[in-house]
Amino acid sequence: MIRLSPLFAVALALPLAVRAADERVIFNRDVRPILGEYCFHCHGPDPGSRKEGIRFDRAEGFFAPRDKAEPTVVKGHPEKSLLYERVSSTDKDEIMPPPKEHKTMKPAEIAMLKKWIEQGAEWQPHWAFMAPEKPAVPAGAAHPVDAFVRERLAGAGLKPSPQAEKRTLARRVSLDITGLPPAPELVEEFVKDAAPDVYEKLVDKLLASPRYGEHRARFWLDAARYGDTHGLHIDNYREIWPYREWVINAFNRNEHFDQFTVEQIAGDLLPKPTQEQLIATGFHRCNITTAEGGTIPEENFANYAKDRVETTSWVWLGLTSNCAVCHDHKFDPITQKDFYAMTAFFRNTVQDHTDRNVRDTAPVLVLPQGEDAKRFEIIPAEVVTANAKLGERQKLLTGDFEKWQAVAKADAIETATQTKTLVALLPLNEGTGTTTKGLVGGKAQTFPLPQNLVWKPDGKSGAAAQVADGASIDFGGLGDFEKDQAFTATAWFFRPAASNSPGAILARMDKADSFRGWDIFYTGNEIAVHVVSKWQGDALKVSTTDEAGKPDQWRHVAVAYDGSGKAKGVQIYVNGRLRKTKIEVDKLSGSIRTKAPFMVGRRAGGGEVFTGAVQDVRLYASALSAKQVLAIAELPDLRVILAKPVAQRAPEERQRLLTFFSTGDPQSSEFQAKVAALETEKTEIQKRSPVTHVQMEKAGAQPMARLLNRGQYDQPKDELKPAVIAALHPMPAGAPANRLGLAQWIVAKENPLTARVTVNRFWQEIFGTGLVKSAEDFGIMSDAPSHPALLDWLAVDFRDHGWDVKRLIRLLVTSETYKQSAVVTKQQLERDPDNRLLSRGPRYRMDAEMVRDYALATSGLLVGKIGGPSVRPYQPDGVWEAVAMPGSDTGKYKRDTGEALYRRSLYTFWKRSAPPASLELFNAPSRESCTVRRERTNTPLQALVTLNDPQYVEAARNLAQLALKAAPNDAKATLAFMARRVLCRPLRPAEIPILETSSTTLLAHYTAAPDEVAALLTFGESKADPAIPPPQLAAWTMVATQLLNLDEALNK
Amino acid sequence: MHPLTDFKLYETRRQFLARGTNVLGMAALATLLGRDASAEPEHPANAALRFAPKAKRVIYLHMVGGPSQMDLFDYKPEMGNWYDKDLPDSIRKGQRLTTMTSKQARFPIAPSKYQFAQYGKNGMWMNSELLPWFTKCVDDVAFIRSMHTEAINHEPAITMMQTGNQLAGRPCLGSWTSYGLGSANQDLPTFVVLVAEPSNREQIQAISGKLWSSGFLPGQHAGVAFRSKGDPILYINNPPGVPKDVRRNTLDGIKALNEQNAALVGDPEIHTRIAQYEMAFRMQASVPDLTDFSKEPASTFELYGPDAKKPGTFANSALLARRLAERGVRFVQIYHNNWDHHSNVAGRMPDQCRDIDQPCYGLLQDLKQRGLLDDTLVLWGGEFGRTIYSQGGLS
Repeated sequence: MIRLSPLFAVALALPLAVRAADERVIFNRDVRPILGEYCFHCHGPDPGSRKEGIRFDRAEGFFAPRDKAEPTVVKGHPEKSLLYERVSSTDKDEIMPPPKEHKTMKPAEIAMLKKWIEQGAEWQPHWAFMAPEKPAVPAGAAHPVDAFVRERLAGAGLKPSPQAEKRTLARRVSLDITGLPPAPELVEEFVKDAAPDVYEKLVDKLLASPRYGEHRARFWLDAARYGDTHGLHIDNYREIWPYREWVINAFNRNEHFDQFTVEQIAGDLLPKPTQEQLIATGFHRCNITTAEGGTIPEENFANYAKDRVETTSWVWLGLTSNCAVCHDHKFDPITQKDFYAMTAFFRNTVQDHTDRNVRDTAPVLVLPQGEDAKRFEIIPAEVVTANAKLGERQKLLTGDFEKWQAVAKADAIETATQTKTLVALLPLNEGTGTTTKGLVGGKAQTFPLPQNLVWKPDGKSGAAAQVADGASIDFGGLGDFEKDQAFTATAWFFRPAASNSPGAILARMDKADSFRGWDIFYTGNEIAVHVVSKWQGDALKVSTTDEAGKPDQWRHVAVAYDGSGKAKGVQIYVNGRLRKTKIEVDKLSGSIRTKAPFMVGRRAGGGEVFTGAVQDVRLYASALSAKQVLAIAELPDLRVILAKPVAQRAPEERQRLLTFFSTGDPQSSEFQAKVAALETEKTEIQKRSPVTHVQMEKAGAQPMARLLNRGQYDQPKDELKPAVIAALHPMPAGAPANRLGLAQWIVAKENPLTARVTVNRFWQEIFGTGLVKSAEDFGIMSDAPSHPALLDWLAVDFRDHGWDVKRLIRLLVTSETYKQSAVVTKQQLERDPDNRLLSRGPRYRMDAEMVRDYALATSGLLVGKIGGPSVRPYQPDGVWEAVAMPGSDTGKYKRDTGEALYRRSLYTFWKRSAPPASLELFNAPSRESCTVRRERTNTPLQALVTLNDPQYVEAARNLAQLALKAAPNDAKATLAFMARRVLCRPLRPAEIPILETSSTTLLAHYTAAPDEVAALLTFGESKADPAIPPPQLAAWTMVATQLLNLDEALNK
Repeated sequence: MHPLTDFKLYETRRQFLARGTNVLGMAALATLLGRDASAEPEHPANAALRFAPKAKRVIYLHMVGGPSQMDLFDYKPEMGNWYDKDLPDSIRKGQRLTTMTSKQARFPIAPSKYQFAQYGKNGMWMNSELLPWFTKCVDDVAFIRSMHTEAINHEPAITMMQTGNQLAGRPCLGSWTSYGLGSANQDLPTFVVLVAEPSNREQIQAISGKLWSSGFLPGQHAGVAFRSKGDPILYINNPPGVPKDVRRNTLDGIKALNEQNAALVGDPEIHTRIAQYEMAFRMQASVPDLTDFSKEPASTFELYGPDAKKPGTFANSALLARRLAERGVRFVQIYHNNWDHHSNVAGRMPDQCRDIDQPCYGLLQDLKQRGLLDDTLVLWGGEFGRTIYSQGGLS
């Protein structure tokens, strides 16, 4: 990098002709702007649009000999220089720029190029690409800012303005440091204190306020494009407010800007990152994302990476790298390859192409609060412990198992299932005939079968009865249980996939008597259990929610009811395993006993018919254990396995036996239950905890990207490794080739841009306009700095003092330049119309959030709580609804109540497709993309907000109420009270009669209009103080409206 | 902000400050006349134009979702012979597919099911079933069948149609018009947006404020969305209990105090603010009159159809657009949603067409009978059309 002295002055307001004829031409000041305007487009850095191979963006473009020709510039000899020859030509075919470009160089500009060549054509690189060096502070002022500013003012024939009045100053500095007006007492204290350092004391007090961090964060959130929705298409809620809180806290603890940068770009890549450092990486999760069905993953990935590179460039580098998406930058030394090599830093992410329309699009960090946080941390260890104990227990069991499997007999298991509580066993496996035999209370009993019953030859054991419409089986009085009796019903069933009607597999239920009784009901491959006294006000219903087996296979179902009368006393097993269920009805009180018969295949009294085969129906007068149910369900298969000698049993058969053997072991069950409970607890904590979006690298993958031809995602070209802009300084030695390396490069001492761009943005926050007006662009087409030496001095000073933000802010607001009166003289308006020379103090309309916060603060409504989820204050109906897609979870604006209405505006919920209506009218951005410089318009729609929006009318009413309570029955005192809060000063004599006339007229009006009074005083949620006469409060509400709408109140 | 726009803003401000009080309208008017004059053919930028530009205002009817051109205006009888045949590769030429169709094994051609006939003196082929009113005014309409887009998803495609680029951030057509032509009225915005409610809401697409944002132009050129529910302009109504005379009284006090302050502080922006508060007051007076249709004769509602009386309908918005045009609003943008017909085309097309058919006809006739059609450009279109092949199987 070529180092030249960056000390040069840029004349802002002075036209070329005014300068002395013998003045030295300075390339960056005098020549480069002319080339930028007329030449760079065809003779600049972009080879795609470069004509004749001639380029004026580098020194060699002027001075290197060309193919068989002189250089374009021959030092000292304009007449031999092609550059001068062409711009001064009168020949239509020769003149540059060519007539078709519709750009005509002015004679003074042509003369300037000539003079530059005559003087020897000294060239400089663009100022912003040269590392800043700390210039000597000019003499004449104690404060460096003042020294530089006054030098420039003197050059323009202007003098600095006198210091502003103390009250004005207190208000200004409070607004600039905290974003809020000063408390009236603070102003009085400041005015009374005559100590020489009283101002510095006030500044330090304000810098220590937690409001400082909120105010600085508010600016930063524009740059970070922070929002509470995903931004595109359905625009659902995105939870990332913990990041906002991180920004506030970072400013409040005065985290130095280099660390602030590294943590946001690459906090996750720091060694052993803290939770806070992970939250900080939310910066690059704030970009807009989509889940629109038709989008293409590769396109979304390309868009997200592009946004991240552009945002990083605007915020830290002050470069419009976005121009290099489709081609090399036309003016700045950023190639298209540079751009896509930068995207590589951001493409190695585990984030998916779709946000899935959920609040927590991975990767996210779950942030359990309070007690939850402790539990959330401990649970994983507890799961490990419980699993270890389970393992130990099962190891112990293995020894016993070997002994057991050597001697186990199926018949013994069978016998064991036939407990004393077995009241009925119906094998249904005859395979022929018109009757079926069963065991009832241990005794054989025969039941008639329907005439048209068919047998399915391949049953679970022997042929199986096939029930169907008109072929259900009636078993008379079996299964007559009461609701406080425990019982179990089990059966094998086979459901053909072809049949799709629901129906009862087993039922003792009378459809005609409000479904009294109980059943096991099959519907849509779910199994439901009804226990009914009177459907559905007096009944239980439980149904399976997880997989309940598949059609066209034999399945075993068992329902155990514990007689508790509660739905949770019903357990459903399929194939011997307990299934997850949902409780659909849970209010049983009456008797469930019915005279209707026990039936297989349907309920009594008609209704849906189950079609399929059924076998081995059992009824127990007790709730069987899991082990007992498993024995019944496993028995047919165990019988086959146990018939083989131990040595011939296959591994999976052995496992089957082991599972059966260990089921029901009380200790194992205990540990299993423990693990399940811990998992549930963890899920519950996750569900109720805040989450925040973070960055996370793809493990084991090397970052890479491809150059996208013309910016098209579907035209990928060369593969690129992550790299920084080649024309700037290299990555620091040892920096990793990932985001962490990028962050280190951004804050490296060699970076000519970051410190300048950053101090410029803070300057802009305090003075309204940056020293470089185009805060997002420091490139060749940027606005020239108004005070280049001051900018460099501040940048180097900031960097060399550890990027200390509070120190910088303190430095700026303690300058005499800042403390100047904002009164404008005619001379200043002529010579310094936009105050770029800083001939007076900063005075301009406050930003959207400040305007609202100001009204809340002066009226005493402001709720000071810091942080937390976003809030929904007053907003006219239909703002979200007008643009929202059906199904969006931010489609309907449901405003909050209570203190959420009065929080600072940076906590307002930001739906990006419909930003907060009243803020947007004051130029708050949509936050769809990075904004480092807001517009500042002055429109009639803004007047309508502060006059008519309920939050302003309510604030006016509360201000009036405060004033009337503090100074009742004394109009002058009431006015003085309000003025101290709104204007931070006493009223001037000429102002008082105007406001007094208002209050008198309004009081007369409202005294005669009680309906209007009632309407006005109930506008807004807060209640009017009944102790104040309502007409009086109404009249003073409108007087407060007048004060709050004064230009002085809306300006800082 | 670009220095040029800065300069222009400054110029405008200076102009009306130079003229004293209540001058915003005059200044704007002067700007407008100046700009209009510059639109004469002698301006170098217009030297190549064959016709003098005559449009003074625009009404843009955007059918959100992509109306099917081949079912409405683009008669393709040959396609009947191609029913259920595969789309030849020579037609698609590897064009990108949406994720909705990219997994399809084949792309069967689905010709329009509707009848077409010729209408008007120019014999324009049109759907003869769905737009009976519209067929009567085809001679007033130029049909452009060569529209092209690079976007295949709604959100970027709408952005592209409005701003010329798929990615948000550039000014939309309305903002450019406001920027280029200036205001032609004293008490209404220059660029107004109306979001009409379709009667059928099966397949609503996303639209948002960014579609009428001013992009990199100054914020004053952003569209002002009039709402069909609640206040037509945000915060246009005084708070309850604040009648007009109280508001006037309040404003008089504000003005007097601001003027005192302006004399002390000397910041010209204070006068701008005074002027803007007065403009706000005039808007408050003019908007109720604008949105009050009660004085429209019965013939108006016969022309636009009975829906014109229902706030928020397309017919209502079309009538409001005419009233805005009459009052000097440069650009009226109407969005009508639910034209995204992935499925149930046959079921939904009649609903969509019924919403807009008579109002479109009515709007053109109404503008014509008032002499406004001569210098009002009315645009009708979507963000894209439909492919000839079917998503999924043929239905």
